[in-house]
Amino acid sequence: MTTTTTPGGGSPATPDTHTAEARGRVLPFPITGQEIVLIAVIAVLWVVLALATPAFLTGSSIVPLFVATAPVALIGVGMTVVIITGGIDVSVGSIVMVCAVVVAKQLVDSGLPLLPAVLLSVAVGGMLGLVNGVLIAYGRVHAIIITFGTANLFRFLGLQLFGGTTVNGIPDTLDVFGRGGAGRTLGVPHSFLVMLVIAALAWYYLRHTAGGRHLYAIGGDANAARLAGVKVQRRVLLAYVLTGLVTGLAACFVIAQGTATLAPNVGDGMELAAIAAVVIGGTSIMGGRGSVLGTVLGALLVQTVTSGVTQLNWPSQLASLFIGIFILIAVGADLLRQRARRTT
Amino acid sequence: MSTAVTPSAPTRDAGPDGSGTGQSALRRFPAALLRALLTQRIVLLLVLLVAVVVTFVLLSRRNYLTAAYDASYMSTALISAVPLVMLGLAELLVITSGRGGIDLSVGANVSLTSMVFGFAYGEWGWPLWPAILLAAVFGGLLGAINGYLIAYIGYPALITTLATYYAYSSLAVVINGQQPISTGPIQKLYSTAESVNVLGLPVPLGTLTFLLPTAVVVWLVLNRTTYGRRLYAIGTNDVAAEWTGIDVRRSRFTAYVLAGVVSGLVAVVTVAQFASARPDAGTAGNGMALPAITIAVLGGVAITGGIGRVAGVVLATLLIVWLNAGILLAVPGNAGSQFQLFALGAVLVFAALLNGLTTRRYGAR
Repeated sequence: MTTTTTPGGGSPATPDTHTAEARGRVLPFPITGQEIVLIAVIAVLWVVLALATPAFLTGSSIVPLFVATAPVALIGVGMTVVIITGGIDVSVGSIVMVCAVVVAKQLVDSGLPLLPAVLLSVAVGGMLGLVNGVLIAYGRVHAIIITFGTANLFRFLGLQLFGGTTVNGIPDTLDVFGRGGAGRTLGVPHSFLVMLVIAALAWYYLRHTAGGRHLYAIGGDANAARLAGVKVQRRVLLAYVLTGLVTGLAACFVIAQGTATLAPNVGDGMELAAIAAVVIGGTSIMGGRGSVLGTVLGALLVQTVTSGVTQLNWPSQLASLFIGIFILIAVGADLLRQRARRTT
Repeated sequence: MSTAVTPSAPTRDAGPDGSGTGQSALRRFPAALLRALLTQRIVLLLVLLVAVVVTFVLLSRRNYLTAAYDASYMSTALISAVPLVMLGLAELLVITSGRGGIDLSVGANVSLTSMVFGFAYGEWGWPLWPAILLAAVFGGLLGAINGYLIAYIGYPALITTLATYYAYSSLAVVINGQQPISTGPIQKLYSTAESVNVLGLPVPLGTLTFLLPTAVVVWLVLNRTTYGRRLYAIGTNDVAAEWTGIDVRRSRFTAYVLAGVVSGLVAVVTVAQFASARPDAGTAGNGMALPAITIAVLGGVAITGGIGRVAGVVLATLLIVWLNAGILLAVPGNAGSQFQLFALGAVLVFAALLNGLTTRRYGAR
């Protein structure tokens, strides 16, 4: 593969240390410096926004923030897994579009109930992820090229399904994931909760299972991982399928949070938002290092900036400028830490 | 980097089937042809290009298309090749510089520079040439920001240009309150996007004033200057290049600046084409960056750096442009543009898989 340098930490997945204390020694501390900084930044932003616009910290403003964070954070969880292996997936926006249109059409045409609708979306997402995974793992082509290509193919598929119009009159089957009252229990939005559960599962998988450690090993040095007995192709395939599955679920959130009309521009730019969340969360784009917790915080930061800009009545596009700056700061901090590790 | 120490592509100009000698040359021809098709991207692109054109001309003769697919239609269609080739060449420079080089921000650069050009030429009443110069310099400046972060500080290119994509496109929209600039002088600029008569064919003026000069200059820079050789060297193996005394950082930085300059020129072309400086000129819909990267990869630019030729990018663009033009005639209406997406994606995946196969069958390219 194309890794240039071996990253400093996070990758040694030594299979011979099975005792709990040995595992504790190998694993890095559960929360990294960048994540603590992120929490601090989010807290500061919230305080500043609360001072600037008193409406910000009220429930009617914070809950929608969490709801809106859920889809990007969920896709970000999958993207984290992919980026840890040293890959990337720029087709997730198109996957959201295909899943959303398939499900929305079924909801309108055959009045699909909630559970089958979610399963359908997840299955479609998983299938598209499988296409990516097979091409990348077995075609041995750089992930960014393949996913640029499949992004176009999926978009074509989605536009064909849309058939040149919007999908109208979507019933409220998916409202349990929406922004309305049906979407929360005791004030906690379901979509955010579901995202947190999946993020926790992914966190455990990446940190405490052999399969998860293999993903780090692949991102650190794919050749070394192969020689150490890791089934590289199978793991890489799995990473893209997982991303497809969570993206399918995220598409349900997107439908639920939208209006009763679904337009063909659904999912536009979500791939960049998810990658931004992952990178701000401290995951190294070169692979081999990163955590799901950081991604969730990154997505929360991105959404805080977006809704903060809106609440301050600034032009909404200004949010992208801040997101760009946050990406540069986050990656710069990562570079500094890498340099510090190399000199010690 | 996994690129082995093969000579970079431009030195392999010698014909692929001119190597065999004596009686066995004829017998070896099929294998040599297959090898040439698989290893020489330009041969493959030429074959595909001929296949596409012949197919559509035949379809046109049998009246399957909604309008005639002939030489004049094909040359008119070249208008959409202007930004594609130029940004494809920008990506060629950047990707060739190695270490995961890529520029996602070219489209946003085009948007922001369009607005700056629009202000200078449309609002402040600058003459045309200084305004074009300003666009080139400003585009170069935006490229220099990328280049400084990537080459000197060591940011990964993908993330840096993702961040600057966000920043530039945001500034482009905010700078004039989301409004396009289409004052008198800018509307008159549309006349420069018209076609001129060359050998009886209507050739879009932009191909002569912007596309051709850019392609020639980039070709000269890559193949006839020390800088070009350095660029291939740092893209192939930057550690080795460092040890031979090349200023790797500066060479890589220059590649991003050049890509920015080209983007700035594309901004001028785009403003002329739309007769309006639009804040989303290079970022609307799919944007301009993804097609440009697609074109570069299809043209045989290795994503790992060090390999890539101007001719490959130009041929890849012609293939896509004439394929798209044919699709528009074969599939009328909205569906046509959708099938263009399909064609672009399918061709890219096909080309990428072929690259992988070639690497395995014939060793590193």
